[in-house]
Amino acid sequence: MPTEPEDPLEPYYYNHVPEIIGGIDVPSITEEWVENYPSVVDRFFTRYYYIKESPEPAPYQVLFHSNRVCLICLAPEHPAIKDGIKSFTFDIGNTDRSKNTVKGKGKKGGMVLQHDSTLAILTSEQNKAYKIPSCVQSKLVEVNTAWVEAPKQLETAGEGEGYVAIVLPKPEDCENIKRSLLTQAQYKEKWTAIQMNAAQKLANESNVAKTEQKSAQTEQKSAPVEKQNE
Amino acid sequence: MKNQDLVDYLKYCSVCQFCQLRYLKARGNEYQNKQEYFDRVNVDYEEEIDWTGDPANKKKRQNVCPTCLGLFSEEFKEQLLQSIENTDIDKYECDGIVVAISIPIVLQLRQLSMWYALLDKFGDNINLDRAPDVSLKEAIKLILNPTICERLNKSYDISNGLMLTINLSHSEEQEGVSQLEKLNSLVYPRKKGQKSEQISRSLIEKKYTPLRVSSELFKNAFVVPPSIPTESLKFDSVSLIGPSTYVAGRYRKLSRKLSHTPWVLNGERVMDDSIEEIIIRNIAHYFCDDQKKVNFMSSGREDVDVRCLGAGRPFVLEIPNAFRSSLSSALAREMEENIDVSQKVSVRDIQIVKREELIHIKMGEEQKRKCYRALCQIGNIVTVDILKRLDFQNGFEIQQKTPIRVLHRRPLHTRPRTVYSLKPSVCRQNKNLIILDIVTQAGTYIKELVHGEFGRTVPSVASLIGQHIDIIALDVVEIDLDWPPSVCTL
Ligand SMILES: [Zn+2]
Repeated sequence: MPTEPEDPLEPYYYNHVPEIIGGIDVPSITEEWVENYPSVVDRFFTRYYYIKESPEPAPYQVLFHSNRVCLICLAPEHPAIKDGIKSFTFDIGNTDRSKNTVKGKGKKGGMVLQHDSTLAILTSEQNKAYKIPSCVQSKLVEVNTAWVEAPKQLETAGEGEGYVAIVLPKPEDCENIKRSLLTQAQYKEKWTAIQMNAAQKLANESNVAKTEQKSAQTEQKSAPVEKQNE
Repeated sequence: MKNQDLVDYLKYCSVCQFCQLRYLKARGNEYQNKQEYFDRVNVDYEEEIDWTGDPANKKKRQNVCPTCLGLFSEEFKEQLLQSIENTDIDKYECDGIVVAISIPIVLQLRQLSMWYALLDKFGDNINLDRAPDVSLKEAIKLILNPTICERLNKSYDISNGLMLTINLSHSEEQEGVSQLEKLNSLVYPRKKGQKSEQISRSLIEKKYTPLRVSSELFKNAFVVPPSIPTESLKFDSVSLIGPSTYVAGRYRKLSRKLSHTPWVLNGERVMDDSIEEIIIRNIAHYFCDDQKKVNFMSSGREDVDVRCLGAGRPFVLEIPNAFRSSLSSALAREMEENIDVSQKVSVRDIQIVKREELIHIKMGEEQKRKCYRALCQIGNIVTVDILKRLDFQNGFEIQQKTPIRVLHRRPLHTRPRTVYSLKPSVCRQNKNLIILDIVTQAGTYIKELVHGEFGRTVPSVASLIGQHIDIIALDVVEIDLDWPPSVCTL
């Protein structure tokens, strides 16, 4: 006679033990579950963005905690994520950001950053170098050195996990900083426009390129002949 | 120098019998039986005419003593006891008292004057650097304190008694101090740029002896021997400060919307109430009038959205100026019932503890194990493999960076913390939910231990199972601290 296969989870089911405290029957912790529980980022942070226009547009994300601590990340649309990340360094030439130290609750000694100060440099698989900007006028608190040893992991890091640095702006600067950055909606609009623009440009360029290519091909065909002639 | 000669001279100066005993260096309870002591040191004893005796003698009462300004007179003692009884001393339920009498400077100056007078009279028999009398401070202890204790029917308890602060003044104080200031600038002239010295009791004690200040200079400023004063000492005030009482207990926190202490942001309350306020307002008024002075201490704390269940978290209220230092179990239960009405906090084991026991609270904060239960959610259905990976009977160490949520006000550190055990279970109705029983070293941030905080806590529950996991709710289920002891209720 076939029997129901035994549930392998059976020994692991939670058993709520009733507890009465101060005359109240304490509700089970499982009753705290809610549908569509927001993520850590959704619970405590506001997303802001900064697009660095040159040498080519690259977007960055600022996760602004309600206590004003900011996480500086690559935006998910950052071109290097699609291209692949080859290397990552906090050594930006004159300074090594990974040597940053902070002391005490005032974060004494933290490097002072302007919004366009370079935090780190990453190089894509296409050998394009991106200077990651600080995005926020602040003091550098912490850098995420994980990416130096394992730059590839930055490609798949979840939201927030891919933070490059943690910075702390002055309380009195926060309102201005937020105003200078793009909100989620503004970013979506602007980034879409930039991409459309780029696609348009690419289309134009490719038309030009096709004609150039044709002439190049003819040149190439004749070139070996010239060589032979030598 | 015969004792009789000394006493004769003191009598000639109209010094009272208690002060005579002081100059005879009487000690301990020798002040309680004057005649016996006089006999013993071969001095004729002659009973003083006391105003409390025959009413007909009232007008003939003694002059005010030039060396104590009446401090030891029967009249003064009577006034003193009356003033104490006029305070709200009956409100204080305590067995012991401490007396602090602050005496005017002019009284000290009069001791000095008598010192110079005795030098004139008895010359080499009088030490130039050590006072010839039993100090007033000492004499108050020997003469007045026992009288006060006897009348109030209380013991003298320096460590835990009700403090009676008695401030005295005298009509000659102003004049005496300004004379001393003049004298001081002559004896200890100020160097250029130096601040003028504040006249104080300790200044006189340290710098004014016949060895340091010549008789001529002193006599230019003050009368030697001290004159018979026209008025005796007056009471300025008598104030009472009760001892500090320490009330301990264990609280359970049933609400996920309650802060530990009042939560104020930009001058505005974020939450209406707090554990501290609920406990203080239900306990403090049994012990004191000013609840604002009560200090709430606990062995650690939990976040606003975390419950604290089981036997609860130990806490202590430090209640200064308490009028009660004992607590009946009936009253303790009454307090506990009143707190239960809040439905947010429940307290057990309310009891009075000694100050020395407060060390347990601090130790518990740093050293003890804490047991938690966390409700966690993962993106897909839990497997036995995941549960097995979270089953740790033995401990492991983690490295935890200061969480971002407190990083704005705390230093950045990476701290090693021990996770003593993990025990997972799964919710039968919703197999995305893991209920994790966690035992950790005090000071571990549990929420970050679960989700890993973007890799800032390693390893974390998330890294152990190799996938995202989030924490929905957290309860403290046990704090491993056997203090305060459990109170049995029958
Ligand atoms: Zn006297």
